[in-house]
Amino acid sequence: MSENLYTYGIIKQQDLELDVEGVAGADRIYTVDYKTLSAVVSEIDTTDPERTDEDVEAHNTVLQEVLEYDGGHTVVPMSFGMAFKNARTLKGVLRGARRALRSTLNDIEGTVELGVKILAPADDAVPQDDVQATVTNQLADLSINETENDLFTDRLIVNKSYLVDRDKRDAFDSAIDDVEAEHDDLTIQYTGPWPPYNFVDIHIGAEQQQGG
Amino acid sequence: MQMAQPDSSGLAEVLDRVLDKGVVVDVWARVSLVGIEILTVEARVVAASVDTFLHYAEEIAKIEQAELTAGAEAAPEA
Repeated sequence: MSENLYTYGIIKQQDLELDVEGVAGADRIYTVDYKTLSAVVSEIDTTDPERTDEDVEAHNTVLQEVLEYDGGHTVVPMSFGMAFKNARTLKGVLRGARRALRSTLNDIEGTVELGVKILAPADDAVPQDDVQATVTNQLADLSINETENDLFTDRLIVNKSYLVDRDKRDAFDSAIDDVEAEHDDLTIQYTGPWPPYNFVDIHIGAEQQQGG
Repeated sequence: MQMAQPDSSGLAEVLDRVLDKGVVVDVWARVSLVGIEILTVEARVVAASVDTFLHYAEEIAKIEQAELTAGAEAAPEA
Protein backbone atom coordinates (compact mmCIF):
# COMPACT_ATOMS: atom_id res chain seq x y z
CA MET A 1 0.00 0.00 0.00
CA SER A 2 1.16 3.53 -0.76
CA GLU A 3 2.42 5.61 2.13
CA ASN A 4 1.65 8.91 0.39
CA LEU A 5 -0.34 11.41 2.44
CA TYR A 6 -2.58 14.13 1.04
CA THR A 7 -2.57 17.19 3.35
CA TYR A 8 -5.55 19.53 3.77
CA GLY A 9 -4.40 21.91 6.47
CA ILE A 10 -2.65 22.41 9.79
CA ILE A 11 -4.30 22.77 13.20
CA LYS A 12 -3.04 23.00 16.76
CA GLN A 13 -2.24 19.49 17.95
CA GLN A 14 -5.37 17.43 18.25
CA ASP A 15 -6.39 13.88 17.34
CA LEU A 16 -9.20 14.22 14.88
CA GLU A 17 -11.02 11.73 12.69
CA LEU A 18 -13.66 12.75 10.18
CA ASP A 19 -16.20 10.70 8.27
CA VAL A 20 -16.26 12.74 5.08
CA GLU A 21 -15.02 11.73 1.67
CA GLY A 22 -11.58 13.14 0.98
CA VAL A 23 -9.50 13.75 -2.12
CA ALA A 24 -9.27 10.73 -4.49
CA GLY A 25 -12.14 8.99 -2.70
CA ALA A 26 -10.33 8.68 0.64
CA ASP A 27 -12.71 7.49 3.34
CA ARG A 28 -10.59 8.23 6.38
CA ILE A 29 -9.46 11.71 7.38
CA TYR A 30 -7.06 11.78 10.33
CA THR A 31 -4.15 13.69 11.81
CA VAL A 32 -0.35 13.35 11.79
CA ASP A 33 1.38 15.22 14.61
CA TYR A 34 4.63 17.09 14.93
CA LYS A 35 4.85 18.36 18.52
CA THR A 36 2.19 21.11 18.93
CA LEU A 37 1.00 20.88 15.32
CA SER A 38 -1.30 18.40 13.58
CA ALA A 39 -1.64 17.98 9.82
CA VAL A 40 -5.08 16.88 8.61
CA VAL A 41 -4.43 14.13 6.06
CA SER A 42 -5.79 11.17 4.13
CA GLU A 43 -4.04 8.37 2.27
CA ILE A 44 -3.47 8.71 -1.48
CA ASP A 45 -1.53 6.77 -4.10
CA THR A 46 0.34 9.66 -5.72
CA THR A 47 2.36 12.76 -4.76
CA ASP A 48 0.96 14.64 -7.75
CA PRO A 49 -2.84 14.46 -7.57
CA GLU A 50 -4.80 15.54 -10.61
CA ARG A 51 -6.88 18.71 -10.28
CA THR A 52 -10.47 17.72 -10.81
CA ASP A 53 -13.46 19.82 -9.75
CA GLU A 54 -14.57 16.91 -7.59
CA ASP A 55 -11.29 16.68 -5.71
CA VAL A 56 -10.94 20.44 -5.30
CA GLU A 57 -14.39 20.42 -3.73
CA ALA A 58 -13.45 17.45 -1.55
CA HIS A 59 -10.37 19.37 -0.33
CA ASN A 60 -12.57 22.30 0.64
CA THR A 61 -15.31 20.12 2.18
CA VAL A 62 -12.78 18.47 4.51
CA LEU A 63 -11.46 21.88 5.59
CA GLN A 64 -14.97 23.19 6.23
CA GLU A 65 -15.69 20.13 8.37
CA VAL A 66 -12.52 20.86 10.36
CA LEU A 67 -13.58 24.50 10.65
CA GLU A 68 -16.89 23.47 12.24
CA TYR A 69 -15.64 20.41 14.13
CA ASP A 70 -16.34 20.27 17.85
CA GLY A 71 -17.41 23.88 18.28
CA GLY A 72 -14.99 25.29 15.73
CA HIS A 73 -11.34 24.87 14.87
CA THR A 74 -8.72 27.24 13.57
CA VAL A 75 -7.07 25.81 10.48
CA VAL A 76 -4.22 26.96 8.25
CA PRO A 77 -5.38 25.77 4.82
CA MET A 78 -3.05 24.09 2.35
CA SER A 79 -3.34 24.79 -1.34
CA PHE A 80 -4.69 21.94 -3.51
CA GLY A 81 -2.33 19.06 -4.30
CA MET A 82 0.00 19.05 -1.30
CA ALA A 83 0.65 15.31 -1.15
CA PHE A 84 3.73 14.03 0.69
CA LYS A 85 5.79 10.92 0.10
CA ASN A 86 5.12 9.65 3.62
CA ALA A 87 4.59 10.71 7.24
CA ARG A 88 8.32 11.23 7.63
CA THR A 89 8.64 13.85 4.90
CA LEU A 90 5.49 15.55 6.18
CA LYS A 91 6.88 15.74 9.72
CA GLY A 92 10.16 17.07 8.36
CA VAL A 93 8.31 19.92 6.66
CA LEU A 94 6.19 20.63 9.77
CA ARG A 95 9.38 20.80 11.75
CA GLY A 96 11.11 23.12 9.29
CA ALA A 97 8.11 25.46 9.08
CA ARG A 98 6.98 25.15 12.70
CA ARG A 99 7.62 28.78 13.67
CA ALA A 100 5.72 30.20 10.73
CA LEU A 101 2.87 27.72 11.20
CA ARG A 102 2.54 28.38 14.93
CA SER A 103 2.61 32.15 14.45
CA THR A 104 0.00 31.89 11.73
CA LEU A 105 -2.27 29.71 13.86
CA ASN A 106 -2.02 32.26 16.67
CA ASP A 107 -2.79 35.14 14.33
CA ILE A 108 -5.89 33.56 12.83
CA GLU A 109 -7.12 31.94 16.07
CA GLY A 110 -10.92 31.99 16.30
CA THR A 111 -11.48 33.50 12.88
CA VAL A 112 -13.17 32.54 9.62
CA GLU A 113 -13.07 34.07 6.17
CA LEU A 114 -16.24 35.46 4.59
CA GLY A 115 -16.56 36.54 0.97
CA VAL A 116 -18.68 39.46 -0.20
CA LYS A 117 -19.37 40.35 -3.82
CA ILE A 118 -21.82 43.15 -4.64
CA LEU A 119 -23.04 43.63 -8.18
CA ALA A 120 -24.83 46.73 -9.46
CA PRO A 121 -27.69 46.29 -11.97
CA ALA A 122 -26.73 46.01 -15.66
CA ASP A 123 -28.53 49.18 -16.79
CA ASP A 124 -27.40 51.24 -13.84
CA ALA A 125 -26.65 54.86 -14.70
CA VAL A 126 -26.16 55.97 -11.11
CA PRO A 127 -22.64 55.78 -9.73
CA GLN A 128 -22.52 53.45 -6.74
CA ASP A 129 -19.55 55.11 -5.03
CA ASP A 130 -21.52 56.14 -1.95
CA VAL A 131 -23.01 52.70 -1.44
CA GLN A 132 -19.60 51.16 -1.92
CA ALA A 133 -18.02 53.40 0.70
CA THR A 134 -20.83 52.95 3.23
CA VAL A 135 -20.93 49.18 2.94
CA THR A 136 -17.19 48.60 2.97
CA ASN A 137 -16.71 50.90 5.97
CA GLN A 138 -19.39 49.05 7.85
CA LEU A 139 -17.97 45.61 7.07
CA ALA A 140 -14.43 46.78 7.81
CA ASP A 141 -15.57 47.74 11.33
CA LEU A 142 -16.87 44.20 11.91
CA SER A 143 -13.78 42.40 10.60
CA ILE A 144 -10.18 41.99 11.66
CA ASN A 145 -8.86 42.46 8.17
CA GLU A 146 -9.85 42.34 4.53
CA THR A 147 -8.33 41.65 1.15
CA GLU A 148 -9.41 43.38 -2.03
CA ASN A 149 -10.04 41.05 -4.94
CA ASP A 150 -10.22 41.96 -8.60
CA LEU A 151 -13.17 44.13 -9.73
CA PHE A 152 -13.37 42.28 -13.03
CA THR A 153 -16.37 44.21 -14.31
CA ASP A 154 -17.55 47.79 -13.71
CA ARG A 155 -20.76 46.39 -12.28
CA LEU A 156 -18.87 44.69 -9.49
CA ILE A 157 -18.71 47.42 -6.83
CA VAL A 158 -17.40 45.24 -3.97
CA ASN A 159 -15.29 42.07 -4.16
CA LYS A 160 -13.59 41.44 -0.84
CA SER A 161 -12.69 38.68 1.56
CA TYR A 162 -13.02 39.45 5.25
CA LEU A 163 -11.26 37.88 8.21
CA VAL A 164 -13.96 37.78 10.89
CA ASP A 165 -13.87 36.71 14.50
CA ARG A 166 -16.38 33.93 15.19
CA ASP A 167 -17.90 36.17 17.87
CA LYS A 168 -18.72 38.76 15.21
CA ARG A 169 -20.42 36.36 12.83
CA ASP A 170 -23.97 37.32 13.82
CA ALA A 171 -23.20 41.01 13.53
CA PHE A 172 -21.61 40.44 10.13
CA ASP A 173 -24.60 38.38 8.91
CA SER A 174 -27.00 41.08 10.00
CA ALA A 175 -24.93 43.82 8.34
CA ILE A 176 -25.24 41.88 5.06
CA ASP A 177 -28.99 41.66 5.75
CA ASP A 178 -29.19 45.41 6.14
CA VAL A 179 -27.44 46.00 2.83
CA GLU A 180 -29.86 43.62 1.12
CA ALA A 181 -32.84 45.31 2.74
CA GLU A 182 -31.70 48.83 1.86
CA HIS A 183 -30.59 48.15 -1.70
CA ASP A 184 -33.09 46.10 -3.66
CA ASP A 185 -31.25 46.78 -6.89
CA LEU A 186 -27.95 45.22 -5.81
CA THR A 187 -27.07 41.56 -6.15
CA ILE A 188 -25.13 40.35 -3.13
CA GLN A 189 -23.14 37.13 -3.07
CA TYR A 190 -22.19 36.27 0.48
CA THR A 191 -19.96 33.18 0.83
CA GLY A 192 -18.26 31.11 3.49
CA PRO A 193 -17.38 30.47 6.16
CA TRP A 194 -14.03 29.56 4.64
CA PRO A 195 -10.76 28.69 6.30
CA PRO A 196 -8.71 31.91 6.01
CA TYR A 197 -7.35 31.11 2.53
CA ASN A 198 -6.89 34.77 1.63
CA PHE A 199 -5.09 35.63 4.87
CA VAL A 200 -2.41 32.98 4.88
CA ASP A 201 0.55 33.17 2.54
CA ILE A 202 3.23 30.59 3.26
CA HIS A 203 5.62 29.11 0.75
CA ILE A 204 7.87 26.26 1.82
CA GLY A 205 10.72 25.44 -0.52
CA ALA A 206 13.73 23.21 -0.42
CA GLU A 207 17.35 23.90 -1.24
CA GLN A 208 19.99 21.32 -1.71
CA GLN A 209 22.94 22.07 0.48
CA GLN A 210 26.22 22.75 -1.32
CA GLY A 211 28.32 19.63 -1.51
CA GLY A 212 25.66 17.78 0.43
CA MET B 1 -36.45 37.91 10.34
CA GLN B 2 -33.92 35.26 9.49
CA MET B 3 -30.42 36.56 9.11
CA ALA B 4 -28.40 36.21 5.93
CA GLN B 5 -26.30 33.07 5.89
CA PRO B 6 -23.19 32.75 3.77
CA ASP B 7 -23.17 30.08 1.11
CA SER B 8 -20.17 27.79 0.68
CA SER B 9 -21.31 25.71 -2.27
CA GLY B 10 -20.29 27.76 -5.31
CA LEU B 11 -17.62 25.96 -7.34
CA ALA B 12 -16.08 29.17 -8.68
CA GLU B 13 -15.61 30.49 -5.15
CA VAL B 14 -14.09 27.19 -4.05
CA LEU B 15 -11.73 27.03 -7.05
CA ASP B 16 -10.58 30.64 -6.50
CA ARG B 17 -9.49 29.78 -3.01
CA VAL B 18 -8.31 26.17 -3.09
CA LEU B 19 -6.22 26.52 -6.26
CA ASP B 20 -4.79 30.01 -5.80
CA LYS B 21 -4.39 30.39 -2.04
CA GLY B 22 -3.20 28.46 0.97
CA VAL B 23 0.12 26.98 2.01
CA VAL B 24 2.29 25.80 -0.88
CA VAL B 25 5.05 23.24 -0.34
CA ASP B 26 7.45 22.68 -3.24
CA VAL B 27 7.46 19.19 -4.65
CA TRP B 28 11.05 18.47 -3.58
CA ALA B 29 10.22 19.18 0.03
CA ARG B 30 7.24 16.83 -0.22
CA VAL B 31 8.88 13.82 -1.84
CA SER B 32 12.55 13.86 -0.99
CA LEU B 33 14.22 12.51 2.08
CA VAL B 34 17.71 12.38 0.67
CA GLY B 35 19.74 15.38 -0.38
CA ILE B 36 17.54 18.14 0.95
CA GLU B 37 18.92 19.71 4.04
CA ILE B 38 17.53 23.22 4.07
CA LEU B 39 13.89 24.21 3.99
CA THR B 40 13.11 27.79 3.06
CA VAL B 41 10.03 29.29 4.64
CA GLU B 42 8.52 32.54 3.45
CA ALA B 43 5.48 33.57 5.41
CA ARG B 44 3.25 36.61 5.29
CA VAL B 45 0.18 36.72 7.46
CA VAL B 46 -2.37 39.33 6.56
CA ALA B 47 -3.81 39.81 10.00
CA ALA B 48 -4.73 42.72 12.25
CA SER B 49 -3.55 45.73 10.27
CA VAL B 50 -1.21 46.74 7.51
CA ASP B 51 1.37 47.85 10.08
CA THR B 52 1.28 44.51 11.82
CA PHE B 53 1.47 42.80 8.50
CA LEU B 54 4.67 44.60 7.52
CA HIS B 55 6.23 44.14 10.92
CA TYR B 56 5.20 40.54 10.86
CA ALA B 57 6.61 39.93 7.43
CA GLU B 58 9.98 41.21 8.59
CA GLU B 59 9.88 39.08 11.67
CA ILE B 60 9.31 35.76 10.02
CA ALA B 61 10.15 36.12 6.35
CA LYS B 62 13.56 34.69 6.83
CA ILE B 63 15.11 31.43 5.91
CA GLU B 64 14.67 28.87 8.60
CA GLN B 65 17.32 26.22 8.60
CA ALA B 66 15.98 22.78 9.08
CA GLU B 67 18.11 19.73 9.22
CA LEU B 68 15.43 17.66 7.66
CA THR B 69 17.17 14.35 8.10
CA ALA B 70 17.76 14.94 11.79
CA GLY B 71 14.18 16.18 12.20
CA ALA B 72 12.70 13.16 10.52
CA GLU B 73 14.80 10.83 12.62
CA ALA B 74 13.70 12.57 15.80
CA ALA B 75 10.07 12.13 14.83
CA PRO B 76 8.58 8.75 15.63
CA GLU B 77 7.64 6.58 12.67
CA ALA B 78 3.93 6.54 11.98
